[in-house]
Amino acid sequence: MKLDPSILARIQFAFTVSFHIIFPTMSIGLASFLAVIEALWLKTKNPTYLQIYRFWLNIFAMGFGIGVVTGIVLSFEFGLGFARFAQMAGPAIGPLIALEVLTAFFLEAGFLGIMLFGFNRVGPKLHFFATCMVAVGTLLSASWILSANSWMQTPAGVAIHDGQLTVVNWLHVLMNPSWPYRLPHMLTAAYLTASFMVAGVGAWYLLRGKHQDFARRTVALGTAFATVLIAGQVFIGDIVYGTMLKYQPSKMQAAEGFWEKQSQSPAPYYWFVIPDQKEQRNRFALGTPYLGSIWLTHSLNGRVEGLKNTPRELQPRMAMVFYAFRIMYYLAILMFAMGIASLWLRFRGTLFKSRWFLWMLVCMTPSGIIATLAGWYVAETGRQPWVIYGILRTVDAVSPVPSQALLSTLIAFVCVYAVFISAFLVFTFRIIRRGPVEAPAYAEASGSIKNAFRPYVLDSPKRLVNSQFSERS
Amino acid sequence: MDLPLLSASFLALTLTLYVILDGFDLGVGILLLFQPAQAPRDHMVDSITPTWDGNETWIIMAGVTLLAAFPIAYSILLPAFYLPVILMLLALGFRGVSFEFRVQSKQHRRAWDVAFGVGSLVAAWMQGLILGGLMQGVTVQNRHFAGSVLDIFRPLPIISGITLLFGYAVLGAGWLKLKSNVSLQHFVSRSLRVSAPAFAVFFGIACIYAARIQPGIRAQWASHGTALACLVGLFAIVAGTLTTLSGKSKPAVPFLLGLLLFVVGISGIALIIFPEVVPFSVSLWDAASSSTSQRLVMIGAACVTPVVLAYSAFAYWIFRGKTPENGWEA
Repeated sequence: MKLDPSILARIQFAFTVSFHIIFPTMSIGLASFLAVIEALWLKTKNPTYLQIYRFWLNIFAMGFGIGVVTGIVLSFEFGLGFARFAQMAGPAIGPLIALEVLTAFFLEAGFLGIMLFGFNRVGPKLHFFATCMVAVGTLLSASWILSANSWMQTPAGVAIHDGQLTVVNWLHVLMNPSWPYRLPHMLTAAYLTASFMVAGVGAWYLLRGKHQDFARRTVALGTAFATVLIAGQVFIGDIVYGTMLKYQPSKMQAAEGFWEKQSQSPAPYYWFVIPDQKEQRNRFALGTPYLGSIWLTHSLNGRVEGLKNTPRELQPRMAMVFYAFRIMYYLAILMFAMGIASLWLRFRGTLFKSRWFLWMLVCMTPSGIIATLAGWYVAETGRQPWVIYGILRTVDAVSPVPSQALLSTLIAFVCVYAVFISAFLVFTFRIIRRGPVEAPAYAEASGSIKNAFRPYVLDSPKRLVNSQFSERS
Repeated sequence: MDLPLLSASFLALTLTLYVILDGFDLGVGILLLFQPAQAPRDHMVDSITPTWDGNETWIIMAGVTLLAAFPIAYSILLPAFYLPVILMLLALGFRGVSFEFRVQSKQHRRAWDVAFGVGSLVAAWMQGLILGGLMQGVTVQNRHFAGSVLDIFRPLPIISGITLLFGYAVLGAGWLKLKSNVSLQHFVSRSLRVSAPAFAVFFGIACIYAARIQPGIRAQWASHGTALACLVGLFAIVAGTLTTLSGKSKPAVPFLLGLLLFVVGISGIALIIFPEVVPFSVSLWDAASSSTSQRLVMIGAACVTPVVLAYSAFAYWIFRGKTPENGWEA
């Protein structure tokens, strides 16, 4: 059997980048969450906040570690699998990623050590500063990467002479048409991810009747953040939809499941379709009449444009885009419903007692991650067959590497990443099962937290370090 | 201003920082395989835990600088070194997650330590393989890689891989001498006694063999003979000093001598490669991206690198002195 290197290179990139994005999504959300928690702790001195901080810091550290090592892979993979893309796009996206590493990566890495291991070495305010720097680093990182990726979606600011690309205007490259909307979309997604994770774990403890104080606070905070964020996300998502409809109509045509140039009027809203790309029609479609017109055209009998508006060789695969979009969309509706329900229960004063709601929260723990992944699948599969939209096709971007080499490294990636994710899940579940360590008891036992946050540490971190060494010797 | 030259200098700086900083991390990882007891192993890993992430970031910086400033070189070299680069990335991955997972696991800590050590070893070896691959030259046609992905598994890259293994072990041992407590000092001295002379001998073999098989290297010897001879002499003297060093030397001495060895070695390699960026076929001016891209990267680097170096140094300062007996959290 002859394997197509372009397919293998794509599967490899898709696999490694999908795996990677799970962890930054968590890190962006959790870093900001931890900064908020530490600020609350500094302000109130309530030991429960410290308990929450220590608990989530553990999980954050593991996720961050996997994010870093799988991210290193990506910075080389442009050249490993897609050398011709690297050669062409390097002048435009290379500097963006270089600036990302300079401004964001080093910031995270430099202060991460202090955040994770500096409790005994620096005062609480400096420690809080380190947490904030890590959180800022994750935000900056996301901005640069979204800028580079959005440039590939909606390229701007460049000129092309005999296949060579030169940048004419950096501001246009950096702030290309889709970036201002896709960045907040992604950041909100990351915050939603963290909110549902935090609330889900808290809800689990409430259901088991354990760690009540910790659980109540995290459920209250998580659902509050989630409610505000999902309201914003629905709004931002709508703007992203409109922007992509303008710049990449084929993506949105595929996402809605219509084939004909103009759909029937009134248009149904499809919940489920079995598309047949070859015949350019749906073999089966299930929808709600009128809803498509109302939802998509904001009128009772508006028509929706279908995928046949795009020439056949430039169409994305409808099934991928449609289902990725549906998964994201349905989860958003569910999150919205959870937000409303949490407001109602809060108003009734039964937020911590409604078992059905807590069970729902537990089930929704990974919802943010799944929705974010699905969203990226819409963005990336819906852009096909282009890798730089309208400029370079994916099949023309592939490296001169034989398919045997690609296949064997793909298998290696799958095996190694399977180990990573299994270990991460095993240890995360173990941390959750063990529960948050009672903060005061922990401080008594090891003496660490008490020492670190003694007021005099602020004046002289050196004294603390010296005193610890003298104790030991 | 000669922008490509400036970018190339920045690339050289990032690679040097990577090799030195992650070099001692990887070295500690390699030595971990030879330490049978659990408590000293914990202590060894603790000595590098707070700063490894920043150290490893320099290789990402080097990779993306190559992409931004020399996209043609990037798109030739990565397919050429496809297998060693991917093996290196997977090995670095194993090593990176082991930092987090070994702490979480009491019963299986030993297994994660093996993953950590093997990850460090493979990553180091692959980096040496890539260096050797550069030295033996890359087949290029019409700005694309035209050789085989298996070209890398030849004698010179393999010897160069072994050389770098011993080199990183020297750095790692030097770092442990500086940071670890009394119980490890014997282990450190023994490691140094083996790795330092082995590094020097393999380095010598690699140099001679490289000059034999690659006419480009002989040409550089002909034109920079004196400078290269001085560097080789200096390398030999430092390596000799390091080997004969008594166990009672000041804690920082072996580490500083190890750093000196690497600086000398890297200077020699830079002299041989310059002004090519894909040896011995594409010069750095031929591989450079347009000047607008170069300028943006250089302005960014000039503004931000001092700040990065400052707070990286600050992080080292926070964790200065001997590594605490029971880890940073105790």
